[in-house]
Amino acid sequence: MTLRKSLGLIGRMVAVVVLVVLAGFPVYWLLTTATHTTAELFGGHVQWLPDVGQFVASFHHAISGVPMLRWLSNSAVIAFGDTALSLVLAILAAYALSRYRFRGKGVFSFALFATQMLPEALLVVPLYSVFLQFGLLDNLGGLILSDAAFSMPVAVWILKSAMDGVPLEIEEAARVDGCPRYAMLPQITLPLIAPSIAAAAVITFFDGWNEYLFANTFITDEKKWPASKGLASFIGEFVTPLNHVMAAAIMFTIPAIVFFLFVQRRIVSGLTAGSVKG
Amino acid sequence: MAVVEVDRPARDVPRKTATARRGGRLAPYLFMGAAALYLILLTGAPLLDGVWLSLTDTQLLNPTGGSFIGGQNYTALFSDADFAHSLLITVLYSAATVVGSLLVGTVCAVAINGAFRGRAVARAILTFPWAVPTVAAVLIFSWIYNKDSGVLNHALRAVGLSGHGWLVEPSWALTAVTLASIWKVFPFVMLVVLAALQSVPDELYEAARVDGADVLNRFRTVAMPFLLPTLRVTALLMTIWSFRRFEIIWLLTQGGPVGSTNALVIGVYRQAFVNSDLGKSAAMGVVGLALSTIVTIIFFYVDRGAARKEAK
Repeated sequence: MTLRKSLGLIGRMVAVVVLVVLAGFPVYWLLTTATHTTAELFGGHVQWLPDVGQFVASFHHAISGVPMLRWLSNSAVIAFGDTALSLVLAILAAYALSRYRFRGKGVFSFALFATQMLPEALLVVPLYSVFLQFGLLDNLGGLILSDAAFSMPVAVWILKSAMDGVPLEIEEAARVDGCPRYAMLPQITLPLIAPSIAAAAVITFFDGWNEYLFANTFITDEKKWPASKGLASFIGEFVTPLNHVMAAAIMFTIPAIVFFLFVQRRIVSGLTAGSVKG
Repeated sequence: MAVVEVDRPARDVPRKTATARRGGRLAPYLFMGAAALYLILLTGAPLLDGVWLSLTDTQLLNPTGGSFIGGQNYTALFSDADFAHSLLITVLYSAATVVGSLLVGTVCAVAINGAFRGRAVARAILTFPWAVPTVAAVLIFSWIYNKDSGVLNHALRAVGLSGHGWLVEPSWALTAVTLASIWKVFPFVMLVVLAALQSVPDELYEAARVDGADVLNRFRTVAMPFLLPTLRVTALLMTIWSFRRFEIIWLLTQGGPVGSTNALVIGVYRQAFVNSDLGKSAAMGVVGLALSTIVTIIFFYVDRGAARKEAK
């Protein structure tokens, strides 16, 4: 029994190590590549280890060569804007779906789901002409608006099922204790579903941080590019040294990973809140 | 996950809740109004506009000067071999990405479910791909796949295999793009499955262990019934997301070489912004939407049947 158990444990550890190496390698490779000169990278030998001393120089070039910091701050504006807008709309909509029965509920649920089927490429042209009229082209606000249309529905689902998991008795008890109805959602329900709000926030944040397609057509001013668009402009051009491009890519990746690590513990429990119900 | 009850009423909310009684009829509309209005303005209206465009001969350089031509864009599409090919690419890419990411994601979730030293680190690294921005992932993979200096070819040659121009050879490009996509999206499946696994009561595992079931048996008989509903919904989401995934394909290959990765959405974009034919582009987009709708309907049909079977 103990032998069998330890064999099983070893087998599992091997599987975990293999999977972790496969999943982590591209990220490791990004770090490694950023620390080698193009002569080393294209010299015919694989540079397996990062040259730690070169890190600072590569980042220095990434910042001085292109407006990377500017692009990153644009991405941050889009990502936080998308998150804030999506969450406000989604919390209210989720509360309606979770706590009320009303005419049109089915249609509304379906419309939310249908957004996930819409190819963005189909909406680019119609949105372009609308944004043109409202002065939303070359405007980060326009990107927030178009991104939230796709990320808000996902947030609604996550929050709705989390709210379904909050027993009604809790709200009733709060009302008996004199909690006014308008305070119910912010003071009673929301604190109870905090992990799910975190999960929804991460997903919407990534949506905004990744924004590319709309930016590619709506933003012509290079100073207003998000980092995704700025980095994509290096693809297929051979002027910027590869290690500088990779350093810029690292700068774009780190905030997303850090943000994710902050909330990752809550993500699983946030998603769990939805799956254990019923 | 959340999406499970898209088509089902919230079973656990009592019919007449206290809130509903006192809230009046207007309350739910006030709560959902902003979101509904938002969807109408930002997706509903543009979608209708897109459908209208697909019935016109509008060009990019004269976006308001198109005239109504009925279904001509559609008839042109369906007699176009390239379009049929791009539908095939879309189906192949989606099927491979969905199956691959479900498989890898589930295996990862099962592997890291339960306590062991280093679990938190393993879980964090396994979710990195999801957090890495798509454009950064594309830069890394183009470099890994590089024909002359990429690490993949170096490694293959070191063990005596031959290298390939992964992104420039038509016979390999779709495989390369698919593998990069699976790497990018499998953590989502892993997180969702992990969440579902944690809802399996420990006593059930314990009972199966006492009965002498081995690891695979325990997974099949104890965990699977809890996972199936989650996996079905995740499969649907993965499928419709694959149908419309744009960035990773566009930035890796732009649909090339010679159309070998030319999925439907790539065609929609190229038709509009390279060939300047907005009408035809919109028609392709509408066909793509119809495809997703059909898949969704089939899914709900199958899901309902399966759910009924499981309930028996």
